[in-house]
Amino acid sequence: MKERKSTFSQRRIYMLLLFFAVLTTSVYGQDLPAITSTYVIKNANIIQGPGRKIEMGTLVIKDGVITAVGKNVEVPATAQVVEADSMYIYAGFIEGLSHTGQEEPKEVPGGRGRSDVKDPGNPPNDIAGIDPERRASDLLNASDKSVNDMRELGFTAANVVPHGRMLPGQGALVLLTGESADEMLYKENTVLFSQLDGAPGVYPSTVMAVMAKYRELYRQAEQAKAYEAKYKNKASGMSRPNTSRVLQAFYPVLEKQQRVAFKAEDVLDIERVLILKKDLGFNLILSEVKQGWDLTDKIKASGAEVLLSLNLPEMEEEKTDSTMTDSTSVEKKEKTAVDIEREELEARKKQMILNYYTQPALFKSKGIEFGFSTLGVKSSDVKDVLIKFIENGLTEDQALAALTTAPAQILGVSSIMGTLDEGKMANFFITDKPYFDKEANVKYTFVDGQMHNLKDKPGKKGNGEKAVDIKGKWSYSSETPQGVVNGVITFKGEPGDYSGSISNSSTDDSTDFNDITVDGNSVVFEFSIVSDGETLKITITMNIEGETFEGTMTAGEYGSFPIKGDKMPEEN
Amino acid sequence: MRLTNTIYKLSLIFLFACVCSISQAQERGDVLIKNGTVLTITNGTLENTDVLIRDGKISKIGKGLKAASGTREIDAAGKYVMPGIIDAHSHIALSSINEATSPVTAEVWTGDALDPLDISIYRALAGGVTISHALHGSANAIGGQSETIKHRYGTVDMDGLRMEGAPRTIKFALGENPTRVHGERSGIVPKTRMGVEAVFRSSFSEAKQYMEKWEVYNSDKGKKGFKGSAPEYNLRLEALADILKGNIIVHCHSYRADEIYMLMQVFKDFGIKKLVFQHVNEGFKVAPELAEFGAMASVFADWWDYKFEVYYSTAYNAAILTKNGVVTSINSDSGELIRHLYHEAAKTQKYGDLSDDEALKLITINPAKQLGIEKRVGSLEEGKDGDVAIFSAHPLSIYTVPLYTIVDGVVKFDKENDPADMRIYPDPEETIDVTLHDREDEDRCMDMGYSNYLLTDK
Repeated sequence: MKERKSTFSQRRIYMLLLFFAVLTTSVYGQDLPAITSTYVIKNANIIQGPGRKIEMGTLVIKDGVITAVGKNVEVPATAQVVEADSMYIYAGFIEGLSHTGQEEPKEVPGGRGRSDVKDPGNPPNDIAGIDPERRASDLLNASDKSVNDMRELGFTAANVVPHGRMLPGQGALVLLTGESADEMLYKENTVLFSQLDGAPGVYPSTVMAVMAKYRELYRQAEQAKAYEAKYKNKASGMSRPNTSRVLQAFYPVLEKQQRVAFKAEDVLDIERVLILKKDLGFNLILSEVKQGWDLTDKIKASGAEVLLSLNLPEMEEEKTDSTMTDSTSVEKKEKTAVDIEREELEARKKQMILNYYTQPALFKSKGIEFGFSTLGVKSSDVKDVLIKFIENGLTEDQALAALTTAPAQILGVSSIMGTLDEGKMANFFITDKPYFDKEANVKYTFVDGQMHNLKDKPGKKGNGEKAVDIKGKWSYSSETPQGVVNGVITFKGEPGDYSGSISNSSTDDSTDFNDITVDGNSVVFEFSIVSDGETLKITITMNIEGETFEGTMTAGEYGSFPIKGDKMPEEN
Repeated sequence: MRLTNTIYKLSLIFLFACVCSISQAQERGDVLIKNGTVLTITNGTLENTDVLIRDGKISKIGKGLKAASGTREIDAAGKYVMPGIIDAHSHIALSSINEATSPVTAEVWTGDALDPLDISIYRALAGGVTISHALHGSANAIGGQSETIKHRYGTVDMDGLRMEGAPRTIKFALGENPTRVHGERSGIVPKTRMGVEAVFRSSFSEAKQYMEKWEVYNSDKGKKGFKGSAPEYNLRLEALADILKGNIIVHCHSYRADEIYMLMQVFKDFGIKKLVFQHVNEGFKVAPELAEFGAMASVFADWWDYKFEVYYSTAYNAAILTKNGVVTSINSDSGELIRHLYHEAAKTQKYGDLSDDEALKLITINPAKQLGIEKRVGSLEEGKDGDVAIFSAHPLSIYTVPLYTIVDGVVKFDKENDPADMRIYPDPEETIDVTLHDREDEDRCMDMGYSNYLLTDK
């Protein structure tokens, strides 16, 4: 019985493979090779740094370095002029801590997990999530979409760390340009990245076990390091020292040569991380802080450096009351107990959410400097969040500092990044309007002197409530256990009466479907593939944001896989 | 621009409001409770007596007491004043409870998982409970260390909940839980009750060896020409060694008499004395032995039969243990039951005829003894912490209602002023769904028209 079932499912997997075979991923960047390495931008508003603005100034860069900036600047004859008259130039933003360019680990069925562990109390380190010796630079993918996404927002450098659990690995400061990890890499081993995330089903699984394990590893590393020092001094007669790479990964932290970047999102995790710091004494970058507003004194007293999160709960726009349509008729009626309770709960929720957005201004008022970390944020949300910080009391200069000079300081690169000054690395971007203007577009981003010319994005985000028009062709790619699948989804017809087809680029198979539901920006459709007499039903959900979508593909009992893609240009 | 400005101003107002609602950690207050019937627990009942709390401590108990002007006064005439109730077995205010991945997890500590935002703390206060024992779960033969917390609700500060100076405690477990979680699921020791004993004995033996290694190292390391290395630091063995040294009170989840007896034998062999049994449903069978060992017992009033090993139980358990000289408490192990521990204590008067004082001790001084905090709390005595519960009637009466609960001289629950929304941090992503049902149908379970389930076969 068991055997029969397994042949059956093998055949199904084979079917899946037929439809979804591996194909190389598409290339995102389309930048042409540069003709010269000398550029000039004339007649621009140059925001050299927070509070330092040159009107109608000129910026010259050569070989990746800013060679001149000011009002009366000599322009080399070989310089290529960048068309940016009257535009705004800002120093490139720096992600204080992020996963940019780090591919998300694949959850591979049949890969290593809880079921491979005989004794869940003693799992191998990779399953326990204890990989402090891993390096973000080894896991860097220059063509990952996130690199381009962040660059389009004006980010030019990022302190990247691997995905993982308790101890995912070592951070690296990278430039958001280049074709390979080597080209991107600026500085290795920036931080030891740590989280309070346990491993599902194996030790350490809970926050209390993670903290216990952290303390134990730290103390063991101290011991091992002290012994190693003795051994180096005079080895004769001594047993060979410990060679655990996990413990060795802590040595720079113990020497205070490296800081621990500890993710601490909510109020309790911040307290827990501060407790660990107090117990163990490491230098700390308190990272991805979301709920720190009641802990400003503690945070300040700890001496930790701070990175605030940009991934925050959504703040609803001040609308003219969305329930207006149905409440106009009710207006004259007495409020019921239900209405009153709902209003009170809504008000508390709103007040709670406001805390997240007033926090940067609060931290500034308490004298706590901070940069931003972008571990979980969607790139499309970054600017909205920044603007809301400013609407809630943060000044534009303070926001700018948190995006440039503060992270440069925290990462120890103030002398070459963070401002537009002579001698600094040519990391900057140009916008058509002041950056924090909602309508502003980033036109060019220069990273290490390399120009990235950004096209205007046709059509801003839809107005939410209205169903999006999905007509046209969409490229898609999805990671399945059998590999990456891609192809094209085509929608025809009119809103309310769509039909579609989906193709697979490796097999050239195409399947038609009709049952399409569009709700706001969410699209759901279903189709079946038949092979060898077996039918497999596949459901795809697309959440469309402008010209891109993310969603899930559910293939019968094989589970759900993430799917994403872009709208393809109209064919003329 | 103007709109932005308004939003900014508004936000400042909210900010201010919010800062105010979060109280300082370990705040201490002054209260004068006038003319109450004072149930001291250790010194009888005092009629028409005042209790003065100053700076968080009971400074005076007597008649006609006066306090500095501005001190809050509570008129307790006709009301009952008792020490704050203590729950020796609870899992409220914790972000995680069970590190169920290993049969021994002595190194983990619920004190790292405290959650001062848990609304259950306020609910416990509404039942007069001022202290609870935030215990690790019972999946492991040797579970995690636990924290004794004061219900200082209103702070976001984890440290603010800790009862400073309370002794360290740890959770052990016998029987079906560890054998199911580790033996059945993972196929490792302990698969049987014998295996559970083996886990204790091997763990303590290992800890002894660890201590010895350190002793040898510490005495040798100063010697000339010493080339050795220190034993590898092991947090788990450090904790087990601390149990052997008598620095940690063991609280052991238990049901069956044979296993309870087994653990006492193991502890005798390893010279461990501080032992409290939790649940201990068959404690009545080995009550003299428990008393002789000096082990204490924390029981349910009348909860049993929820799994096979809890079949043989009696509601007389607490009374039998008490009459045999075992220091006994009644616990909740539940965020709901914790609100009416006074009812649970009263059940021992129905089942076992305990006196008022004996019954009240089960939820005050006795759990305090089990947590090693009886010098600080558990009775109303001058010099003790200002932890007080005030009831409308005698706390063992079914008609009683908790009116005030005071922690360190700060009124943390006041029935007259009990706001509807006591959450500290509401979920910013919650879906607000307010549905008030028409209660009429529900309240009449005997009159439901066609659907009277009492008349059907189901």
